[in-house]
Amino acid sequence: MNLLDVNAVDFAYRSDKAVLQQVSFAVEAGASLGIVGESGSGKTTLLRLLLGLSQPSAGSIALNGARVDTRDAGFMRSYRRQVQAVFQDPYSSLDPRRNVFDIIAEPLRSLRVAGNHEDMVGAALDSVGLPQDSLRRYPHQFSGGQRQRIAIARAIVARPQLLLADEAVSALDLTTRVRIVALLQTLAQHMTLVFVSHDLGVVAALCRDIVVLERGRIVEAGRTQDVLGRPKHPYTQALLASVPRMPEGLMP
Amino acid sequence: MRPVLDIADLSIAANGKTLLDKVSLSIAPGERVGLIGESGSGKSLTALAAIGLLAPGLTATGAISLDGQDVIGASERSMVSLRGNVTATVFQEPLTALDPLQPVGRQIAEPLRRRLRRDGEAAGRTDVAAGVQNLLAQVALPDPLALSRRYPHELSGGQRQRVAIAMALACRPQLLIADEPTTALDVTTQAEILRLLAKLVADNGMALLFISHDLPVVARVVDRVVVMQHGVVVEAGPVGEVFSRPQHDYTRSLVAAARSFDGALEGAA
Amino acid sequence: MTTPELTIPQTHPRVSATLWVGLVLVGLHVAIALLSLVWTPYDPLGMTGGRLEAPSWAHWAGTDRLGRDFFTQIMLGSQIALVVGAGAVAIGGAIGVTLGLLAAFASRWLDDALAATLDILIAFPTLLIAMLVVAASDEANLFTAILAIGIALSAIVARLTRILAKRVLLLDYITAARTSGTSWMGIVLIHVLPNIWPTLAVNFALQFGLAAIAEASLSYLGLGAPPPNASWGHLLQEAQGTVYTAPIGAFAPGLALVILVVGINLLADGLRDVADPTRSAQR
Repeated sequence: MNLLDVNAVDFAYRSDKAVLQQVSFAVEAGASLGIVGESGSGKTTLLRLLLGLSQPSAGSIALNGARVDTRDAGFMRSYRRQVQAVFQDPYSSLDPRRNVFDIIAEPLRSLRVAGNHEDMVGAALDSVGLPQDSLRRYPHQFSGGQRQRIAIARAIVARPQLLLADEAVSALDLTTRVRIVALLQTLAQHMTLVFVSHDLGVVAALCRDIVVLERGRIVEAGRTQDVLGRPKHPYTQALLASVPRMPEGLMP
Repeated sequence: MRPVLDIADLSIAANGKTLLDKVSLSIAPGERVGLIGESGSGKSLTALAAIGLLAPGLTATGAISLDGQDVIGASERSMVSLRGNVTATVFQEPLTALDPLQPVGRQIAEPLRRRLRRDGEAAGRTDVAAGVQNLLAQVALPDPLALSRRYPHELSGGQRQRVAIAMALACRPQLLIADEPTTALDVTTQAEILRLLAKLVADNGMALLFISHDLPVVARVVDRVVVMQHGVVVEAGPVGEVFSRPQHDYTRSLVAAARSFDGALEGAA
Repeated sequence: MTTPELTIPQTHPRVSATLWVGLVLVGLHVAIALLSLVWTPYDPLGMTGGRLEAPSWAHWAGTDRLGRDFFTQIMLGSQIALVVGAGAVAIGGAIGVTLGLLAAFASRWLDDALAATLDILIAFPTLLIAMLVVAASDEANLFTAILAIGIALSAIVARLTRILAKRVLLLDYITAARTSGTSWMGIVLIHVLPNIWPTLAVNFALQFGLAAIAEASLSYLGLGAPPPNASWGHLLQEAQGTVYTAPIGAFAPGLALVILVVGINLLADGLRDVADPTRSAQR
């Protein structure tokens, strides 16, 4: 069975033209999917729907076969337990007035997860490669890459089945980006990853499957290898051709 | 030939903390140089110092000469004319560089009128209007006449950056400084802006200082790169050479990082 | 992403001279008010000297037209100014913060309606609202004065809270909190209030000064605490008739009010410097 089923989803803000039209895809448990698109593609809206922050205008989203209904508080609690997120900007995604322990423990407390929270936060901190003495410090004492690790620790602390990442490495320096991508690769071995990005190189490095969005519609989908290796749709071709590459030359 | 910009042993400190340490960098007329570094490397600070825009509280030592004139210790008045005549800058986020309350045509007209007067050319209304249309056409914006009447918020990110480039071109600078000009843009838009920049620099014989953390982007538009880390220049040389045979460990890690994503794409392909 | 490289290192979170002067001036008033609870130079109601005496060693601020010691009454006036200030800020803060948060979280039309109402309320002078509240209750007393001023201040607090909260609600850490399953109430208590609190606190200090002035004005108009409560506004009103013959009667309570308000404003300014996150939080 698929972990996530997105079925013929439409979305339109009041009286505006459609932001998403007939978007359908599925993610198997343990798989990794990249959702690729540029500004205006609807990828941010799609992510909000997957996060359960808005309800599709038509169509449905289902987790483990259970349809997501944002008005059902009981269901949303179990949904949030299984679906957690990492955001783009490591500077605005952490509350500056809370220490690292409180930040990471927030899902455990809010979702009333059973167990020893201190141990669970400590384990999460370990898996993102931050030292235990970070717990009593505050976000401004960390670099961008370290902050993103804290955000990832918060997302995995409740052991969700699905990790959603929204341009999670775009704001980072190149060398930091490589390290965070490696971390996400490791984490993706134990959970399902949906990675929303405009960066084809990062998606190619991280995701087995890919969905290409253009103006609210899926124009191409499949194994990343196939889609990027033999792009069929002109938009995918244009996107691929636009990615700046290192100049050819003698390899070191 | 005298360099457009010549920075020698520039050090900058704030409250006893060294932000730049003996940075040297020289750009010949028409040369395209990439300044590469990550956040905190001091690359933007170097560029600001070059045009005499250091924040108060920062002390600079060393020598900077812009078109043969000393920048360090120069009066603000002489810097204003130097900045306008010799250099122009394009920033990362065009929205903050444009005035939200003025149609873009008028914003391009202002530096253009100044430049026409400076060069002793006709600067009447029709001359300026024609010049603005010409500049908008140069940055490949469609329907320049209609576009010049629009406000920044009515344009897309790519269009705004083209307008910012047109404003820079209006000064007809010898040196164009571009500070992460495509970081906020979509990939396809980025590719177009990079092509445009390369073409304009070549057509107008301008020198280019392109500041970025993105190696493949830099590689598309420059001949020579300078790599900075923690306020120090760690490596410099022709772009092909530095990127294929990096000497410094830091450059090696940057190149390896950039190639790993290229590799992922190639592996997929 | 813009990562400013030019963070000029600050040496310390500044505890400025402004803050110290403010603390001393306000502290002086608090000390005098506390002292007046247990000791005053004279019996406030007793005829302790001649009428309208000029200041002397015996009567530091002279006497009023009934021969009562003026300094004693000003000391007692501190109590009223501080009680009304604290009470009004507490009421105004409670109502204002609640309304402001409600508006920030409300649906679009409710927010618009609340915002418009607040804008209209703010257009009314604080004193006019206070007078309406006093008029609506049966008699003017200390409590109606506090309530009236508190309600008048609440509109200003509400508007500020709404703007501050809306700004915080746009940040990613709020979205992260929502996807972490944190309830709306949790988001308010854990994220919104702690992040807007420093700015609100500075504003409360300023409101305190406004409340003290409003109380004096109400008492001056006879709408505050009735005699024998020695409000500064009441003292000013009594001194009005003799302002040419004994100017000290109007000058002294006025000076006390000015010192309190200036002290509070300096304190607020100093607090702002300390609370400003750009001064204390560096990356």
